[in-house]
Amino acid sequence: MSGLANNLSFYLVVSAIMFVFGIVAALSRKNMIGIFMGVELILNAAALNFVAVKLLQTKAAASPTQDGAIFSLFIIVMAAIEAAVALAIVLRVFGVKRSIDPDGMARLRG
Amino acid sequence: MKLIAIFTLLIGISAVLTSSIVAFHPNILYAAISLTFTLISVAGFYVVLGADFLAAVQLIIYVGGIIIVILFAIMMSENIYRARFLDQARKYLAPIVFSTAIFWVLFKLISKTQFSLVADPVRVPISESVGVALTTLYALPFEYIALFLLVGLVGAVIVARPDYKETHYKDEGSIK
Repeated sequence: MSGLANNLSFYLVVSAIMFVFGIVAALSRKNMIGIFMGVELILNAAALNFVAVKLLQTKAAASPTQDGAIFSLFIIVMAAIEAAVALAIVLRVFGVKRSIDPDGMARLRG
Repeated sequence: MKLIAIFTLLIGISAVLTSSIVAFHPNILYAAISLTFTLISVAGFYVVLGADFLAAVQLIIYVGGIIIVILFAIMMSENIYRARFLDQARKYLAPIVFSTAIFWVLFKLISKTQFSLVADPVRVPISESVGVALTTLYALPFEYIALFLLVGLVGAVIVARPDYKETHYKDEGSIK
């Protein structure tokens, strides 16, 4: 029973479930913040895969540098940038339209 | 060794449940609070996988920073308490079909693949090796992501600046 912590498929399945829920949230939320939270879930699922494969897969574990952790670190930094830019856009749109409903943001439609 | 398996299972259940709340709860505030626990669960996964540095970074940046930003942005969204369930059910149909198809493909891939697993993985603290790698092999990507962060934050400040009115655009257009 000690296998679960070393079972790569378990991490991959949990990460796939998080990814899928992130897609559902990003596609179906009627709110800009909800879409953003879905994207965060997707990024977290990807980062989790990197770390799990780095520890548990033979070829990845043989690599001397911590590649998986560094990729996940860059993903986290990118998510932080994304959060800052998303909040800036939300503030700007709210200042102009007094609402952050994504269906109302159609001013650039051709 | 039994304890770590139970811990992993609990973290997995917590991650799945809280991320389902993020996707399906009609109230956006509850979804954001649930997202906090999803991120904490991912930090727990990092602990189980021996990535101590990443667990700390996850807690500091995600739970300490991004959740605060999200909660701050939620203050601007109206009708967080008004859920229209009929509307919701119709809206969820296409994304659920689409993502079920994606999950089916992913699950088939994961279950059919023969992974060559490490027999007894060693979990050593990774902080030192990550620090060494960031200053030697990954020095250029590290500098690049630092520049990217700087440009992103400056751009966010410029976009969010309250007094950037449309007269600025007119002024720029009038330059010969």
